[in-house]
Amino acid sequence: MSAATATPSTTAAPAAADRFSVRRLVHLTRWNLVLLARNRLALVYGTVLPLAGLLLLLPGERGDIALGASGIGGVVLTAGLFPVFYNVLSQFVNRRDELVLKRMRTGEVRDSELLVGIALPGVLCALAVCAVTVPAASALGQPLPLNAALFAVGALVSAAMFAGLAYWTAAWTRSAEAAQLTSMPVIILAIAGPILASLTSLSETVQDLVSYTPGAAISELVRVGWFGLDGTGATESTLSFSETWSQAAGPLAVMVAWTVLALALASRSMRWEPRS
Amino acid sequence: MNTNPTTRSPGQPAVRVRGLRRTFGHGATAFEAVRGIDLDVAAGSITALLGTNGAGKTSTLEVIEGLAAATAGEIRVLGLDPIADRAAVRRRTGVLLQRSGFSGDLTVRETLRLWSGTLTAPRPVDDMLDLLSLGSRADTRMLSLSGGETRRVDLACTLMGDPELVILDEPTTGLDPESRRQVWNLVAGLRDAGSTVLVTTHYLEEAETLADRLEIMHRGEIVRSGTPTEIAAGHPSMITFDRLDTLPDPLTGVTGVRHERSRTTLETTDLQTSLGDLLDWADHHGVRLGGLDARSPSLETVFLAIADGRDPDAVTPARSADPTTAVPLEGSLR
Repeated sequence: MSAATATPSTTAAPAAADRFSVRRLVHLTRWNLVLLARNRLALVYGTVLPLAGLLLLLPGERGDIALGASGIGGVVLTAGLFPVFYNVLSQFVNRRDELVLKRMRTGEVRDSELLVGIALPGVLCALAVCAVTVPAASALGQPLPLNAALFAVGALVSAAMFAGLAYWTAAWTRSAEAAQLTSMPVIILAIAGPILASLTSLSETVQDLVSYTPGAAISELVRVGWFGLDGTGATESTLSFSETWSQAAGPLAVMVAWTVLALALASRSMRWEPRS
Repeated sequence: MNTNPTTRSPGQPAVRVRGLRRTFGHGATAFEAVRGIDLDVAAGSITALLGTNGAGKTSTLEVIEGLAAATAGEIRVLGLDPIADRAAVRRRTGVLLQRSGFSGDLTVRETLRLWSGTLTAPRPVDDMLDLLSLGSRADTRMLSLSGGETRRVDLACTLMGDPELVILDEPTTGLDPESRRQVWNLVAGLRDAGSTVLVTTHYLEEAETLADRLEIMHRGEIVRSGTPTEIAAGHPSMITFDRLDTLPDPLTGVTGVRHERSRTTLETTDLQTSLGDLLDWADHHGVRLGGLDARSPSLETVFLAIADGRDPDAVTPARSADPTTAVPLEGSLR
């Protein structure tokens, strides 16, 4: 201990407030990035797989924006599912099983720093994928985003939502092997959204329900923010820049709601040690 | 090591536990692992918490470490509440869990750098590599280390923050004899530098040699406390020899007789007199006492007696429910 703390211990408490430390978070994130980089499979899953959505654009007519919207929507969705959701889920469960988290929790690190630190590398990966999509889609004949800021906000909220869903899933996942199964509900929910949303034959009630799924919200956000498409059946860009903000409020609210719900459920049942 | 051990007011114990209880589960399946213990760890001492597996040692330590909340009781660590005053306590304590893990893809040096960056005032990583003799393994990935080497990395993390209070849960389990000796020299060095050590171990001779004070737990309670000498004192000495079913009656000082397969064990409060009487009797009757062994009470005999539920001074009336080998005669232990 340094001389500065040479006071009776009973008075030491106020001097050492238990605050979230950005310094510790940056440090943890850096090392988690190193670990992610050394895990080749996770890295390929996290970067290459999401960009595969752009392959959809190759055979299509150049400039077909409906096709562009589903391809780019797919990229954002996969960027949320793999580098964020599945990666964070398996990292957290693995480290919990191997008692790495229990070890960390004996030290000065706070729980919230551990959680954010595990999620950030995946989130950064997802954001990088979304950023690369802009020039890549442009090269494939698609327009640049109509509202780039909205697209960025959407990518960020999507990543946060999938991190929240990962921690909620981790709370009831027994082991890293079990994560292959327990990840399914969220993956199916996410993928089913845009597929169902594209079906025009569904009744209005069902379409409303579908629009509340995470995947449909992401898809809608890309259609509005990037392409200015108004409604699920639209194929022509009709929205103005300012209209994109108000049109995006709905899907953004859905994503924020999922994030808050997932984190609330996770915090109620979070476990830091393997079940004995 | 600890350059300033005077941050506590004199006389204040480093750890003070009163009425600690820990219950797992609810209702009919509830299990009380810790059943109302009091514990003081004097500042600057080595206190060893001993007990059989399942005695409640780790459950007790988890509360002191601030990893788990007590079901009931009062816990002060360095005068603070380990949960409410978490940041202040963590900065001044070092914990070694009974089992813990590290990311296998990081090297030893990277693992220590990772840990170092989470501390307020870490000692240099290279110092820790030297202290734990890990220099030659610094660039080896964690997954290639032996169990003993991993334990030393673990210990390096525990000591990196230069803690005033070190809590070690079975630090030497699984180590080879040389590493064990090294760890205990390190622990003794911590005390000499002014730190307080609370340790659990299965190696009784280590506890006996190094600890200033012992606390023996059994079935969730502390049944004996004191210095190793105090604990052994008042406990019966043992005389054992190849089994004899006929014995002189009475034998001065003998408080119990047990026949275990091929051996007979006498417990006595007066070893010299009992042994003299026994030898006189054997001479007179021409009896040969094969494999004769007489010993003063040691920590091990006390510990085994407690584990078997044969401890006369134990707070718990924990008589062994499984007397397969013990055949108490009249006037025996209780």
